Amino acid sequence: MDILNMLLQGFAISLIPTNLLACIIGILIGTLVGVLPGVDTVSAIALLLPFSYGMASTPALIMFAGIYYGSKYGGSTTSILINVPGEPASVVTCLDGYPMGQKGRAGAALTVSAIGSFIAGTIGLIGLTLLAPPLAQAALAFGPPEYFSFALVGLIFLSKLTGTSALKSALMASIGVMLSTIGLDSLSGISRFTFGMDELDRGFNLSILAMGFFGIGEVITTMTNVKSKPKIPSVKLQDLYPTKEEWQRSTVPMFRGGIVGFLVGLLPGPASTLSSFISYRLEKRCSNNPDEFGHGAIEGVAGPEAANNSAISATMIPLLSLGLPFCGATAIFLSAFMIHGITPGPSLIVQHPELFWGLIASMYVGNVLLLIINLPLIGIFVQMLKTPLNILMPLVAVVTLTGAYYINNSIFDLMWVILFGFLGFLLQRVGFEPSPLLIGLVLGPELEWGLTQGLIISNGSIWSLITRPLAGTILALGAIVVLYNIICFTINNSKKETNY
Amino acid sequence: MEKKFLTLLSLCLFILSIMLGGCTTMENKTVSTAKKYPEKPITLIVPVGVGGGMDSVARLLEKAAPAQLGQPLVIINKPGGAGTIAWNDLASATPDGYTLGMSGVEVILQTLYGPTKYHYPTALQPLAQISTLSMVMAIKGDQPWETLEDLNQYAKQHPGQIKFGHVGVGSISHVAGETFAKSSNIHLEQVPFQSPAAAVASLLGGHVQTIFINPTSVKEHLKNGTIRTLAVASEQRLTDPDFTNTPTFKELGFDVIGSNWYEVSAPKDLPIEVTYKLSEGFKKIINDPEFKKDIEKLGLQVTYLGPKESQEKWLMANQKLTKTVQETGILDTIKAQRK
Repeated sequence: MDILNMLLQGFAISLIPTNLLACIIGILIGTLVGVLPGVDTVSAIALLLPFSYGMASTPALIMFAGIYYGSKYGGSTTSILINVPGEPASVVTCLDGYPMGQKGRAGAALTVSAIGSFIAGTIGLIGLTLLAPPLAQAALAFGPPEYFSFALVGLIFLSKLTGTSALKSALMASIGVMLSTIGLDSLSGISRFTFGMDELDRGFNLSILAMGFFGIGEVITTMTNVKSKPKIPSVKLQDLYPTKEEWQRSTVPMFRGGIVGFLVGLLPGPASTLSSFISYRLEKRCSNNPDEFGHGAIEGVAGPEAANNSAISATMIPLLSLGLPFCGATAIFLSAFMIHGITPGPSLIVQHPELFWGLIASMYVGNVLLLIINLPLIGIFVQMLKTPLNILMPLVAVVTLTGAYYINNSIFDLMWVILFGFLGFLLQRVGFEPSPLLIGLVLGPELEWGLTQGLIISNGSIWSLITRPLAGTILALGAIVVLYNIICFTINNSKKETNY
Repeated sequence: MEKKFLTLLSLCLFILSIMLGGCTTMENKTVSTAKKYPEKPITLIVPVGVGGGMDSVARLLEKAAPAQLGQPLVIINKPGGAGTIAWNDLASATPDGYTLGMSGVEVILQTLYGPTKYHYPTALQPLAQISTLSMVMAIKGDQPWETLEDLNQYAKQHPGQIKFGHVGVGSISHVAGETFAKSSNIHLEQVPFQSPAAAVASLLGGHVQTIFINPTSVKEHLKNGTIRTLAVASEQRLTDPDFTNTPTFKELGFDVIGSNWYEVSAPKDLPIEVTYKLSEGFKKIINDPEFKKDIEKLGLQVTYLGPKESQEKWLMANQKLTKTVQETGILDTIKAQRK
């Protein structure tokens, strides 16, 4: 009851006109940030920090929070419409969102993604409201050996995200892990595989690769297909919203995604991106028609888009209750807190209850507002698809390249986007899917850090990775699933043989 | 066919225009006379990503710049390479006062570990030091050790059981930890972490027994009692009220000094007038009561040093750290790994 009381007070604070206005400004900027590829939450908040100096701390932080969770609503838009992920967390939405758009179901995909975001965002917030301090403590039980096990099992599960050939996927995932070792190793301080190129010290950025593979790759694919005149999908009003069947298929994935995202969000690392991948894989496994995935399965949009939103709420937990930013976006959020004279940490709830509860309540309000703002926008966004390809595709290229430049202010990165664009195009031609490579890139550092740190902590004994209860359990679960798959595979094969 | 050609052509044009647009800003460096300086916004390169201590300090400078320097500061984050990517840019920029950068102890450390593209201590010149961060040795609140001596005894009786976390091999937190291990004659295994947050999380989770870290990262937990600090690697105790009870290593009989600092630097050979205008401007900014208040919000204290004093500090730090990284074996470790 106490929490409910505090939350109600929080609502009273968040509905004060200035705070409400700050919330609306925040979510509008957030939506824009999400829609624009390359402009990420981190740089948007950094850009706006100076403008917030004159503001009181509560509305300023409400605004920044709005940008943070608002961006995850907009991220799917460009994934679905033009195959360019607006945010790293929406990379996976390209896999089924874009095919849906090509089939004239862009409206449905956008609607499901907005509603999924709302539902999962709210699930995440409920978790944040009720369980923040105990969950933050629980997350601390995860040490380096656990991260390693988690990343390893994750890599095995996720590598077969799309496509049919396990071998090809595993190959791409390994290349992804290899690419992740390029650059300055933050643990040893040594430049690896950079061939003396300073710019490579930074390593490969997930967004750069994703923009190349999906965005530029799509432009090139379209260019080579111009002869077969693509039909512009005509979108009628009723096509804007999901059909009854689509609703039924996406309800459960939304909730499942919400829970998965929340759990993943508690852990350090690129939580929202990772959670969307995991949710996608989960939906594919739970689905009755897994073959449809990659060709416009609505579950593949609903789940991941839900997951990345609840992950956002979860990443606030270590930040608010321990003062620990586990990802880039929360790091800048922490700066915003501190510049406004408030340090998140174990005593935040006691020292600044009005701010803490006001902020959380504003996130509930913001989620509702985002839904109200986003649904009518869908109609406008879908009109974009009516643009003739010879105008749309150069625009896609410009948007992608501008976004890619903006990430690190680097011309060098532009070369990579174009290079990976061609590479993505060629790989798809020969039947290699780029997404496992991106997963390798995301999980590679986690894998390496977890292993290095874990081995030092256990005095170099690899067995400790298995004997630690949590790490062991994760690895065992992974092993069981792998074994199960192998057994299924052998049984299926022997069946086929007897059939002949 | 015509359509295909058009698509291709327009695409190429767009790409070309973007690239050319990017190039012009790099090549078209106008040389302006020092007297009229500053005539246009000043770029401040920040060697870390957005967020965190140094970036926040840069943003506070950005806030105060228009009033005191006469032009706004434009912050560009160039993270990666332990700062070297940013400092390479800074060292190669025209010394006209329109490109400045944030720097810290890494300008000294990085050049010690191996050949960098530029020798930063001589290719750059400091304009003003803003704040110093002396590393603290922190343990989890519920550990039995009350003093540094308790931990030392335990480490001697249980060799290999105490592991210390730091934020990257060769970083100042690593240097401080190894210096302590050496001066107290105990063996401490080092665990590198990817960020201060990861190190603190591992300490709180009990995965490492102690960490060497900047005071701001543990301040809130110190107030709350979830983390305690055993010693600080500075000459004198910290003036921050939360840390006045933390003894220095020197008081306890260990010669451990490890401090990072935040400062503004420029490429070498700025025109004298520009150097004067900038250093006076930054002096005003940094000593402004409002700026001091803002810095304290970040958990930092202003410790202003002018260009001359900062340059002297670089020389001192260079001498001392050259010796330290050799004696502690950090240099050998890094060199061995680089092979």
